[in-house]
Amino acid sequence: MPCGPPPSARFGDVIDLLRVLAAEPGALWLSTGSCTSHRSPSWDPSRMKMFSVSHKTVFVVDHCPYMSESSRQQIECDMLTKSRAQAMIPLAPVYKSLWTCAVECSMEYCRILYDIYPAKKLINYMVSDSECHILNTWREEDQSVQELMSALAAVGPPNPHEDPECCSILHGLVAAVESLCKITEYQHEARTALVDVAHRVSNRGRIICLTNAKSDTHVRMLEDCVLETIQEQNKLAAGSDRLMPIQQCELVLVHIYPQGDDTLVSDRQKKEMTSVLSSEVHSVRAGRHLASKLNVLVQQHFDLASTTITNIPMKEEQHANTSANYDVELLHHRDAHMEFKNGDLHTGGSSKESGIRETVTLKWCTPRTNSVELQYCTGAYRISPVDVNSRPSSCLTNFLLNGRSVLLEQPRKAGSKVVSHMLSCHGGEIFLHMLNSTRSTLEDPPSISEGCGGRVTDYRITDFGEFMRENRLTTFPHVLVDAAGRAPIERAKAQLERHTRYWPMIISQTTIFNMQAVVPLANLIVKDTLTEDDVLTCQKTVYNLVDMERKNDPLPISTVGSRGKGPKRDEQYRIMWNELETLVKAHVETSERHQQVLECISACRSKPPEEEERKKRGRKREDKEDKTEKNGKDSEEKGWTPDTERLKGVMEREKENESESGVIKDSPDSPEPFNKKPRLTLEDLQPQEKSKGPVSLLSLWTSRITQANSRKHPEFSGRLNSINNKAELYQHLKDENGKDVHENGKATR
Amino acid sequence: MPTVVLMDVSLSMTRPVSLEGAEEFQRKNLAVHGLTMLFEHMATNYKLEFTALVAFSSLWELMVPFTRDYNTLQETLNNLEDYDKTCLESALQGVSNIVQQEWGGTCPCQVVLVTDGSLGIGRGSLRHSLATLKQRGEDKKFPLPFPFPCKLYIVCIANAEELQATDAMDNLEQLLSLSGGEGQIFTMDGPLCLKSVQAMFGKLIDHAYMPFHAVLRCGNLASDVQVFPRPEPVLLDEELDPVPKAVQTELEIVGFIEIGDIASPPVLSRHLVLPIAVNKEPDEVGAGAADEMEEDTSTNQMAGKSPNFCVLLHGSLKVEGMVALVQLGPDWYGMLYSQADSKKKSNLMMSLFEPGPEPLPWLGKISQLGPISDAPENPYGEDDSKSPFPVLPKSKRSYAQNVTVWIKASGLQTDVQKILRNARKLPEKTQTFYKELNRLRKAALAFGFWDLLKCVAELLDRECTLLPDSAHPDAAFQLSHAAQQLKLASSGDSKYSAFDHVITPMLTDFSGGGSGTDRM
Repeated sequence: MPCGPPPSARFGDVIDLLRVLAAEPGALWLSTGSCTSHRSPSWDPSRMKMFSVSHKTVFVVDHCPYMSESSRQQIECDMLTKSRAQAMIPLAPVYKSLWTCAVECSMEYCRILYDIYPAKKLINYMVSDSECHILNTWREEDQSVQELMSALAAVGPPNPHEDPECCSILHGLVAAVESLCKITEYQHEARTALVDVAHRVSNRGRIICLTNAKSDTHVRMLEDCVLETIQEQNKLAAGSDRLMPIQQCELVLVHIYPQGDDTLVSDRQKKEMTSVLSSEVHSVRAGRHLASKLNVLVQQHFDLASTTITNIPMKEEQHANTSANYDVELLHHRDAHMEFKNGDLHTGGSSKESGIRETVTLKWCTPRTNSVELQYCTGAYRISPVDVNSRPSSCLTNFLLNGRSVLLEQPRKAGSKVVSHMLSCHGGEIFLHMLNSTRSTLEDPPSISEGCGGRVTDYRITDFGEFMRENRLTTFPHVLVDAAGRAPIERAKAQLERHTRYWPMIISQTTIFNMQAVVPLANLIVKDTLTEDDVLTCQKTVYNLVDMERKNDPLPISTVGSRGKGPKRDEQYRIMWNELETLVKAHVETSERHQQVLECISACRSKPPEEEERKKRGRKREDKEDKTEKNGKDSEEKGWTPDTERLKGVMEREKENESESGVIKDSPDSPEPFNKKPRLTLEDLQPQEKSKGPVSLLSLWTSRITQANSRKHPEFSGRLNSINNKAELYQHLKDENGKDVHENGKATR
Repeated sequence: MPTVVLMDVSLSMTRPVSLEGAEEFQRKNLAVHGLTMLFEHMATNYKLEFTALVAFSSLWELMVPFTRDYNTLQETLNNLEDYDKTCLESALQGVSNIVQQEWGGTCPCQVVLVTDGSLGIGRGSLRHSLATLKQRGEDKKFPLPFPFPCKLYIVCIANAEELQATDAMDNLEQLLSLSGGEGQIFTMDGPLCLKSVQAMFGKLIDHAYMPFHAVLRCGNLASDVQVFPRPEPVLLDEELDPVPKAVQTELEIVGFIEIGDIASPPVLSRHLVLPIAVNKEPDEVGAGAADEMEEDTSTNQMAGKSPNFCVLLHGSLKVEGMVALVQLGPDWYGMLYSQADSKKKSNLMMSLFEPGPEPLPWLGKISQLGPISDAPENPYGEDDSKSPFPVLPKSKRSYAQNVTVWIKASGLQTDVQKILRNARKLPEKTQTFYKELNRLRKAALAFGFWDLLKCVAELLDRECTLLPDSAHPDAAFQLSHAAQQLKLASSGDSKYSAFDHVITPMLTDFSGGGSGTDRM
């Protein structure tokens, strides 16, 4: 076979070898594509090896005196505008040296590589003259074009006056082999992780040597040198912890010669020198030929393919009201072309000959504005524009970087349009998304309403939505584990566990979650830790419930499934208290303070009251209401200094806590606690009134809105006391006149 | 994963099976019996699977296109006629075409080849096809491996000894490895009879058509579900991690993310998540309040009426426009979301991300995602106006920074022209002028392109001589200063040719004229 097995094929691996046999002999591995590019990782050898040959690439660039020779590709810098042209003689054009050509093309190789593989594919760059200058290391922070450019500037162009006898590319090649033996951070990590099977971590690499060779014999000499060095270094590496023997090395020799010269070195396809080393020779003229050669190489080496976006409308600066159509060529992993691989390019896309390169054409679809849609995307691949700073390219990339997405369709002569790809930017990186454009195997599934639980209509959808919002995720890049040794994701799971300890799924299964008055407690009790204030709030909630019961306020108990009016009021409260206890009991183990909340409930919750007592309470009621109202006003007046007021409240509450459990148990009717907390009573009573009787959709909605609003700001006391949103002013005047405040309907009866 | 049943209807399938019993069976009868069993299983336990039936001899015919109607499949199967000799290659080519036409080139498929192991003679026989494998042109390639991912199940109405007596077994094994190695050869144990054919098809069903049942959990809320199609194990890296990863049967929700933030992520596969009723003791938390609701659960009729977590989750995901991040195994995640088929029907769907700690770069490492309540302030803002996503990468890509590429002459010319344009508008454009000048300088130094620095220095000197009389005096100063600096840089003098050295505007004072650098 003139073209050996692909880099990833191993001896003894039947599947790989058979695939190679099936491939068209002699074809470039890249362009056949027919035998490897399956989506499933288990199908694609190129995706299956972290430490393939492309994990490590060493660039060795010749820095000997002859590289300072001109490439003879001339560049006119003096582009005179017509109006000025007559006045003067243009300056002489400039020429890039062989060195400049080699450096800028290799930098372009690196740029594309870093764009598409920001990690895991590493480059070590070195230049060779009388010695080897290593410009960076395998470390991740050294992997950037900026770093390399800066190091290259420090090296400068080759010195034409240096003694050519002292200079050689061999220094670089030897150093390159040594460098391939050095372990990368990734290899180290993998070896540490796989201690017992560390041998699975392999060491392969590629050397790209840009030089000017004298002859084919010279080339052979270079190959032999690499081969010998590998053998030596492998022996050395076998006895070292920080070094690894090289299992496979690809040597890519690029002979660069000035334009107009005849080449002294002949091209040679990849050849296995030994089981470890393979070598290929490319003889290329400096200038654009070299550029396109390295572009082809980077595509081959890293499984890239090219897509040309066509029909991109762009406005011209001069003619702002018209737009011309442009094409932009992008590189990306070849898997993005998976659906074209069967040679149906004649329908799906067009393959155009641009040098040796192939590209698939996709048509720009003017983007819609609603981008918040979940597309069925089967792959996303980073891109790099071929011509990064051309105007059409930068126009397209800036458009995408600003957060717009563009759908791409396959150009077809007839038939319906097929959108197969999407360009989209995530966090400053542009990805080519592959969208599914064929028939779905999941079409026409049974609707969820036909399955289990599908006939139930009163799911707490809104509440669960709220639950989801509270359990949204965010990133903690700097917190690896918390004090308890949990990663953030484990804390997220723990939170979900806490929040769902008691979570009835349907409205008719719950009373407390339909009650506005319980919300403060329900929100707090699920927390991992409670503050003193949190406990206070929970207690207030409980007192408030006690007050409601005392006033015999109706509860939103579901009557679904039961005939007639449902349980009696007493029974309703019993159910409510039971449920509340269930909720709090589920969290009682969390902390002392959670325990306090449960104690408060046990202390306050009603015992079945005697008939008489209830009557008595009924008689007393008017009295108490008045008191409550007065207290309310009192605290409103004092409310201008909320801080001191709260402090006082806290202290009082603490005292109560100590005494309450004893006192109140014996006399659940005791009015004390409620009167001390009149503001809360006022605030939380309101929504309850509206939910008299069975819950209507409107009242659910209203209570939800109220709930949402109440979190943002305290409600105006005027509105709280209003009837039909009309508040009566100067009520206290009336009050003083001895009229009943509650005649407007504020009271519950 | 659609299935193609490729049924051998060549004459050899009509060979009678020797039995002690009274009735005489043909191999074909056994095959039909086995397939009937398969179809019955699918109709009850795997009914969303699309199946096609292809019959082949020397020719092939699509008897039933992809369907979920197992009655039609069964009926057609019962009425298959007998034809001439076996020619597997053309039949496989047919399968390849049928699948690609229907599902495209990326949808994984299963092919169930039912044959008696006599694989034809002469041209068109499998032996011949395999022997000529290497001598084919691009247009006559052997149909395997299929262009789509495929599992090939070869079900032989023959026992292993019979196949090993000829080269049939070798050929079939070679066929299997050609297909990519995923799949299996099934043979009959013992005498050819109804019982052994049942046993063989039973193995196929166990291997490839068992529904995937799992428990979907969100904290203490849970639901039994079937995941369809069943998720296939994924091989990550054959060297480092040679054991395929399988989705575990406990699917645990870890949190929720807005659809806009997850942003059409790439997925390995999509699956319906269908709640199922399983008879078991009600041990779910949340049933605490349910006790007064209903005493008897767990019957299939009641299943529709008893609340199910999947339905609740689906409803809320749909209303809120969110997805639930779900853990499928160690370092393997997916997402649950509501997928609308049409306006009326929608479903809970699960997509699997590529296994690994960081499947989506824009979410960062999944293990580093935590609850918002742990953050010092809500990263979504009080009014949901913000988002912690996307996570920004450490470095910018080349297209997001102003890189200099001079591979094409036009790139270089544009950069020189930019400098000259600004040079003509000095001193107003002093800052832009120096910014462009420094950019060019840096690139020229990195590329060892000192001639360019000299050339631009000359251009600036000439601009200086061409300045009109009306020009601001500062312009001339700046131009010759810049030209001088470039010349120094091109000399290789370490002070002036340092990469990080920046040419700064010449400090001039034209305060008398009220302009100059202080105008900037």
